[in-house]
Amino acid sequence: MAEDAIVTVPDTRRSVPLAWRNLVANKRRLIRSSAGIGFAVLLMLVQLGFERGFFNASLGVIRQLDGDLFIMRASKYRFGAEDPFARRDLDAANGVAGIAGIVPLYAAWQDLFWQEPGGDKSYLIQGFAFDPDRSPFLLPEVNEQRDRLKQQDAVLVDRRARPFLGMAGDARETTINGRTVHIAGSFALGPDFMSNGTVMMSDRTFAGLLTGNRDNPAAVPVEFGVVKLQPGADIAAVQQALTAALPKELRVLSKPQLIAFETNFQADLSSAGPIFWMGTFVGFVVGMLISYQVIYTDLADQLPQYATLKGMGYGTGYLVRIVFEQAALSAIIAFVPAWLLCLLVYYVIGALALLPLHMTLALTLLSLALTLGMCLLAAALAIRRVITADPAEVF
Amino acid sequence: MPLHVAWRILNHQKGRTALALGGIFVAILLIFVELGFFIAVPQGGMLIYDHMRFDLLVCSNKYIFQAESWQFPRDRLDEIAKNAGVAQVKPVYLGGAKWQDPGGGLRLDIAALGSDPQAKLFAAPEIDSQIDVLERPDTVLVDSQTRPIFGPLQPGRQVEISGRKVTIGGDYDLGTGFLGLGVLLANEANFFLIFPMRRPEAVNLGLVALKPGADPDQVARELRSVLPNDTQIFTRPELSSHEVSFWTTRTGTGLIFGSGLVVAFVVGIMVLFQTLATQITRQLPQFATLKAIGYSSAFLNAIVLIEAVLVMVIAFVPALAVAIGIYSVIRVQTLLPVNMTAALLGGVFATTLVMSGISAFLSLGRLRRADPAEIF
Repeated sequence: MAEDAIVTVPDTRRSVPLAWRNLVANKRRLIRSSAGIGFAVLLMLVQLGFERGFFNASLGVIRQLDGDLFIMRASKYRFGAEDPFARRDLDAANGVAGIAGIVPLYAAWQDLFWQEPGGDKSYLIQGFAFDPDRSPFLLPEVNEQRDRLKQQDAVLVDRRARPFLGMAGDARETTINGRTVHIAGSFALGPDFMSNGTVMMSDRTFAGLLTGNRDNPAAVPVEFGVVKLQPGADIAAVQQALTAALPKELRVLSKPQLIAFETNFQADLSSAGPIFWMGTFVGFVVGMLISYQVIYTDLADQLPQYATLKGMGYGTGYLVRIVFEQAALSAIIAFVPAWLLCLLVYYVIGALALLPLHMTLALTLLSLALTLGMCLLAAALAIRRVITADPAEVF
Repeated sequence: MPLHVAWRILNHQKGRTALALGGIFVAILLIFVELGFFIAVPQGGMLIYDHMRFDLLVCSNKYIFQAESWQFPRDRLDEIAKNAGVAQVKPVYLGGAKWQDPGGGLRLDIAALGSDPQAKLFAAPEIDSQIDVLERPDTVLVDSQTRPIFGPLQPGRQVEISGRKVTIGGDYDLGTGFLGLGVLLANEANFFLIFPMRRPEAVNLGLVALKPGADPDQVARELRSVLPNDTQIFTRPELSSHEVSFWTTRTGTGLIFGSGLVVAFVVGIMVLFQTLATQITRQLPQFATLKAIGYSSAFLNAIVLIEAVLVMVIAFVPALAVAIGIYSVIRVQTLLPVNMTAALLGGVFATTLVMSGISAFLSLGRLRRADPAEIF
């Protein structure tokens, strides 16, 4: 195809990749300018990654729930706010067609104080409880170890919890709310911006920790009813039937709706979104300035060449195209190493800050679009010099 | 003399210098924004304390941070009051309540602060002027930075706080800090009506005001020696460093904003280096000529270094002005106490000086290429 073009169209304006040659003419300068643009790209990627990581952290446990529908109080405003209901309220759901089972999920965000094993301080933690015979979680580690929760006062702990809680160590015993608990195993979940660590336990242990009476877990109010449907059941139809059957104070959400519910809360009420968007915007502006500087300097250096091209009869349109091509190429050349470096940065910061930082296709495309945008915008600002290049004046 | 040359170089091509200044301006601004977040985000934990009147804070030895303060026996406050340096001791009660409109709707978490209105907990005239409102039964004041999801906060609105009907008596504007989405103030009697399970004998915080001239460190030492180890005493600076270090080191906050700061630092150096290197390349013939005339390499290096510092200092002024503007936007958008303090200003200035030093050092390599024999 390219060979074809050279044979049939001797016109050099098609066959000479001028933008590319301009770019690689001075390797040292190319490295310098790519580094400048690349670090601005890294800045944007890191900020965007934090923003995503923040949301992913708060959605982490929701994604690990093994349910098609979720029954909760209609007055609940976020996943992690205690607003439980009486367990017997779930009885009304028993007759609804299409349901394979409903697992009551108990949760506490304000009531469980975990003592650092071997330490003297106690910290608020997130706790989930369920009947060990029917786990409402997808976490394979939790499901493999759920039988151990049948022992009295046994808990599973999150070994990715914040280190000061001491959940990752090999301690076998500590106290929650002053009561001795046995650490029967661990799973990997990770903290979010509200809770520093998570424990899982049986409903009986939960009742013991909160009420002192482990023999009547049914008296403890439930946070969620985790509903599994029969294969082939229509989620929307069951959701409607469930809503009609349950008391008015309860609502039923599908899993995507529950995720959207939490995402909306975080987006509306937390400061994290605006902080990281602002960081991304600053990265964009900095990147634009760097690329403007790069392109402006390149153009200034190559002004005689551009004027010569003009003198030879090439139109302004061609020159403009070259400049934009060159800008797009430098964007891509800078983007690749920045993207690779970012993988490393995500890995290191993710491990240190216990934040789920993942490079996704969406993140890659968004940052590539921003990079191209800033370089092309910078080219648009700098291009006046080429348009006004006067062959007669340049020499 | 190198200063003079550096100044002449900058003055020679004003357009190019303006371009360089623009780049450095943004680099400095970047540092201001990232350092602002790095400092301000953990400071959110001090927001409420900053508005409280006290010289020493008494709290449980189990105290983690403001919202996880635990409780200690109220009797300890009587013991503290016996110290010769202590003028007044005020108990503060803290609790997490549920806020709901009587007509239904969401049950939202709100932090409640209970105290004797006459004790004038806060250095806030707008609260002091509403003492009679606070004294009314089942009446609370609400922080006006309580999030919009709570609905209108106009005086006279009835809300249910943990199931109890309460009237909003008025509002005040201190900020919610890291206590949550909303904060309300109640007198002690109303606080215990909202929290029927709580006893006045178990206090969350004790605010100690000292007599004029008393040394906080001295009194703190004396109190520590007489109090049992179920309580601890913080001076204001100790409390500040405790809260800030909790948020910086115990949560992801420090790492997240710290790494933002590091990336900003590197980007800033890249911008500065890019700018300086371009300038030097443009003036390579001039530098080579100076060399040929007999000026030493040290002299040329000094010119570059001074040039770097000069552009940085000049760009610092508009960056500072814009940063002050951005801070006010951040304050409104994120409700964080991002303020231009002398320490922050000095910190950014020092950081940018280091950055221009590093970038000047990096671009000196280019200067060595100034060979009088080759240039012409």
